[in-house]
Amino acid sequence: MKPAKIAFILNAHLPFVRHPEYPRFLEEDWLFESISESYLPLLRMFNRLADDKIPYTFTISLSPSLCAMLQDPVLAERYTQYLERHIELGEKEVVRCKAEQPEFSDMAAFYLEQSRTNFHDFVELYKSNILDGFKDLEERGYLELATTAATHAYLPLYKEYPSAINAQVEIGVQSFLTTFGHLPKGFWLPECGYYPGLEDVLRSHSISWFQTASQSMLLSPDKVDNGVYRPVHCHNGVAAFPRDFNGTSLVWSNSSGYPTDKVYREFYRDIGYDLPMEYIGPYVHEPEVRVFTGFKYWAITGPSDQKVPYVRSIAQHRTVEHAHNFIYSLRRRTTALGPILEKEPLLTLAFDAELFGHWWFEGVQWLEEVVRLIADGEEEVEMTTPSLFLEEEGESLQIAQPAFSSWGHGGYNAVWLDGSNSWSYRHIHKAIERMEELAVRFGDQLSLKQRFLNQAAREVLLAMASDWSFMMYNKSSSEYARKRVNDHLSNFNVVYSNMCKNAVNTEWLVKAEKRNTIFADIDYNIFNPEH
Amino acid sequence: MILINIDSLSTTELQYIAEQEGVEAWQDLDRDDLIDALEDAFGEQDDDVPQTIKGKINRNRYCNSLTSYRGNSHPVNGLPGTESLPECYYDTSIHLLLRDPQWAFAYWSFSHQVLDEAVDEDGEAQGHFFLRVSQSSLSKSETSSYDIDIDSDDRQWNINLSQMDYSYYVDLCWRDKRGDEQSLAQSNSVEVVQPYWKLSDVPPDGQLAQFYTHFSSLVTREGEIVDNAILREVAQKMSGGVL
Repeated sequence: MKPAKIAFILNAHLPFVRHPEYPRFLEEDWLFESISESYLPLLRMFNRLADDKIPYTFTISLSPSLCAMLQDPVLAERYTQYLERHIELGEKEVVRCKAEQPEFSDMAAFYLEQSRTNFHDFVELYKSNILDGFKDLEERGYLELATTAATHAYLPLYKEYPSAINAQVEIGVQSFLTTFGHLPKGFWLPECGYYPGLEDVLRSHSISWFQTASQSMLLSPDKVDNGVYRPVHCHNGVAAFPRDFNGTSLVWSNSSGYPTDKVYREFYRDIGYDLPMEYIGPYVHEPEVRVFTGFKYWAITGPSDQKVPYVRSIAQHRTVEHAHNFIYSLRRRTTALGPILEKEPLLTLAFDAELFGHWWFEGVQWLEEVVRLIADGEEEVEMTTPSLFLEEEGESLQIAQPAFSSWGHGGYNAVWLDGSNSWSYRHIHKAIERMEELAVRFGDQLSLKQRFLNQAAREVLLAMASDWSFMMYNKSSSEYARKRVNDHLSNFNVVYSNMCKNAVNTEWLVKAEKRNTIFADIDYNIFNPEH
Repeated sequence: MILINIDSLSTTELQYIAEQEGVEAWQDLDRDDLIDALEDAFGEQDDDVPQTIKGKINRNRYCNSLTSYRGNSHPVNGLPGTESLPECYYDTSIHLLLRDPQWAFAYWSFSHQVLDEAVDEDGEAQGHFFLRVSQSSLSKSETSSYDIDIDSDDRQWNINLSQMDYSYYVDLCWRDKRGDEQSLAQSNSVEVVQPYWKLSDVPPDGQLAQFYTHFSSLVTREGEIVDNAILREVAQKMSGGVL
């Protein structure tokens, strides 16, 4: 019997948050936390496995907005300062814990060491650009890198605006080309949001595959033979890889997934909230705004506030058990499928990259254990990527139409179109229509007008990010999300109203270009419907 | 803040949140009272959120989301020279967005001229606006429509899509006092496609295999199925009514 195949796809994405107009900015910590707790630990894990000659392969989608932030000198400088503060706090914590809470001393020392390692890797190893680390691993054959929509827009809600869909895809592809030096084969559909026909836009940009929600096969208008266990070719030849809900929920279920185990680290207990302000003040935000610092000493323990101290060795042991359980669960299912399916199944396991390390502290180690178990060869599981799979088995795939779907609550558009965020589409759609109008009326401008119009295109794209509507729906930083949508659209309107008067507001332009620096090579003509 | 599992938080943290949320005399409250006060505070903010969704949000422990940092006290400055967005735009148009196979969201706007002509010089209405929802079968030559009365102040509506395998569009209409009707604008159309397995019968000899192929991947290890209404219907059909 041939080994079952699994394809891990990690989506690394954060919304574009960059506020040089403030000395420090709360939401920039999203990036810094993700670099420290997920991206750098993942890179170290990948390199450790490679050094140990462990065969593995992962697919990672790096969103253009994340890539723009990871290449930004202002944010790189701020991240270095963030690390310096964490090293300083770590040094203080080692002393404090030794004197006051010796049960936390090991973890305090661990956090200090992790901050120092992050500083070394970021500054010395990657010279402030960790994308080089991913590029290197791709060149060595360990990773397949993929792209996604320019600002991670939830595409089904822009279906009526082909120019905007095309702009999101084309700029996603071009940004990848600029960053990594070649065209991507894969395209991460933001939030697994798919509508029939989207594959045509992807194909026009030479994309070979995308991932879809689990139910996209069973709800297809065609009779899909293998459920989610084999990808299908859309009618135009682009392949759709449905996500395996059962396998991913072993990790991702917020009620029973591995990260909820009581011995794992409690995310929500952090010294940023627990210690007196006179001590923690320099390491939170001014004026005395408590934030997560990453220094967390308690285990999940249970649903009450009565927590026991976190013991890393116990948690590490549990990740090994969970890795075994994960492989066992996958194998049990694929073995049962053996007599039913004509070919060996492929399980597509798609996650947000920030789950590993940031949300689930032990997640990176768990991934490493899974890879090492697979490499042992006893588990009859083989790692692959969508592109490798297509090279080997692409000709045998069924042709079928995936169903309209997403991975959000309810399985369709409801998360990104509910009472909290539906107001925004009236304005974003109008901005797209007006951007199209500007591109037609003022095609191929030069100099200041060109810059003015390019900035307008940036603002429209930034307003489209799926993050804002999700945050409004989820009531998480919703005020900031509303503000961002409003600001980008108001910025766009400055260009629109000025261009209608044949004017350029240069003061505004210079300030806007400095603030929203994303997509330096953008060409607003992309919004011309005849483009 | 709604993300946080409130029972798991330390008392210091609860006090901090209570202070941020403006809970009165938070310094004097013990832990249980703090939790009650905060639940009341969030409950008031969440009154528009359905109970089922509230549960989802509170359990959202490890799902993809960003840490909620910002309360209400830290405004972010916009660029100079910008103006607030208008409530709506003064052209006559209507748009239809598919929310799921049962619901679509329509939003529209009116031009000044249309609004002016809707009333006489004394401000008396000369007729009324309504939406005409038209549906056409994707497989048969069947079309039908129904009307929804709207006020001149309305700008959006959730439209029920009663059947699958249909396409839908909406006309923004005006009916004057004589009963003459006029379509002022027509939306794009949206399609709700019928899944193969919703219509087709599973051959008895292949029922178990088909069911396992399709559903073994769509449930958690506790047997919880992917959250999707149509999927549950299909599960019932394919399982011969067992589920």
